[in-house]
Amino acid sequence: MSIKFKVPIFDVKSLNYSVRGLNILISISLEIFNGEYVAIIGPNGGGKTTLIRLLLGLEEPTEGSIKLYGKKIKNFKEWHKIGYVPQRASLVDENFPATVEDIVKMGRVSKRTFFRRMSNEDKSAVQDAMIKMDVLNLKDKMVGTLSGGQRQRVMIARALASNPEILILDEPNTGVDMVSQKNFYALLAKLNKEEKITIVFITHDIGVIADDIGRLFTINQKATICNNPKETLSCEDMSALYGIEAHLIHNHKHEH
Amino acid sequence: MIEMLSYEFMQRAFIAGILIATLASISGTFIVLKRYSLMSETLAHSALVGVAVGLVAGFNPLWMAVVVAVFAAWIIEYLRTSFSLYSDAILSILLSGSLAIAIIIVSLGGAFNNSLFSYLFGSILSVSYEDVVTIMIFGSISLLLLLAFSRELYFIAYDEEVAKTSGIRVKLLNFLLVTVVAIIIALSIRVVGSLLIGALMVIPTVSALQYRVGFLHTVLISLFIALFSVIVGMTLSFYFSLPSGATIVLCVISIFITSLVINKK
Repeated sequence: MSIKFKVPIFDVKSLNYSVRGLNILISISLEIFNGEYVAIIGPNGGGKTTLIRLLLGLEEPTEGSIKLYGKKIKNFKEWHKIGYVPQRASLVDENFPATVEDIVKMGRVSKRTFFRRMSNEDKSAVQDAMIKMDVLNLKDKMVGTLSGGQRQRVMIARALASNPEILILDEPNTGVDMVSQKNFYALLAKLNKEEKITIVFITHDIGVIADDIGRLFTINQKATICNNPKETLSCEDMSALYGIEAHLIHNHKHEH
Repeated sequence: MIEMLSYEFMQRAFIAGILIATLASISGTFIVLKRYSLMSETLAHSALVGVAVGLVAGFNPLWMAVVVAVFAAWIIEYLRTSFSLYSDAILSILLSGSLAIAIIIVSLGGAFNNSLFSYLFGSILSVSYEDVVTIMIFGSISLLLLLAFSRELYFIAYDEEVAKTSGIRVKLLNFLLVTVVAIIIALSIRVVGSLLIGALMVIPTVSALQYRVGFLHTVLISLFIALFSVIVGMTLSFYFSLPSGATIVLCVISIFITSLVINKK
């Protein structure tokens, strides 16, 4: 595949991560390329979120190397290329004084120089992000008053405001109803196809997005990389690796 | 009002008070949003160590207060980020620790007198020309830094980790914020007193939060509440011979209660 010759966005080699002698992740090696749509699944406590935190430099690997656009994390400066929506994103503190626009504007902060007001470019990026996530009509509303689905879209609009090349979402479905979830997956697929944004998505809900995703990583201390997710969902060695989680996925398939 | 302002000491007190209300309320917004409210109390007590050293050794107590408060702020931030200790426990330890040191220094130096009393509870009579100049110099620098980094500090208060992954230098800006707050607190103890300054920093923002408006409006409401309380408090203090710090704090608490009642769901 010609894609292999490109510099990957994330290049992880023999990554080990342990806390006080307890192994959380063991010899993880993976690459994520521009334009991909990757889903990461695995049981709770299997290390999915830890892997994302390591990729973003929020934790230091015990061993191994992580490169971002070919650079070591500590030398990486172009953070605006990465949009991150953490797990707890939709659980905002209800008293925090922020309108939807205040939150989305945060996405432009790293691009701003000090003392300068928001430029026209900043303003139009904020506007575009709100339009893409369909929250423009909510822009003056306090975030604390929004529903789970609306908050989730606002958080992604914030990540999109920096015009990222890659969007990393850590189970953003917490507290979101089914209809909003369906629309949300359609939106992610659109961002990936039309805007060419690379998407890395942590989820339990693989049945719903399996049609759109390109590759699937299963993380349970170790990583398994499956290039054909549909095949993976029925493959037996995944069941062996996965245990309980594999049953959950089967249940999902029956439901949908 | 005109009669009151014909006194030079009242002019100095008003200038100092207005500067402090501005600084305390703006920096207070970030402190409250970061759940650092107790830090203002701790830094105010640390500033007393500086005052004690100043009074005993004959240096300018206000300058010494700035130096010691900044040092204490760095220790707090270092302990908070480098050890897995509870932040409120760290603040509590430093609060009583610095008060103990201040009392010992003052007691050994035989400086238990009215001068110390004025630093504890604030006194508009005691604001000197030199104090006003010190407040103006340090205050302007602090305000400029806060305004220059306000969007970054707001983002950090909202979500420290997401701010970090957006390329914001979170650690450096956290140090900057606590430094600026330490300076503002040390400057404020002349007018409001070290036992009461926490109120002027925290209550205007908490009151403003009751109105459930966006960031900019919250800062502006908080600023207005602080200015109003300081002006009304000092005026009442002048006409009824009340201690300035306590009067200001009671004014700001009245506004807080009013805000709570008005905005009750």
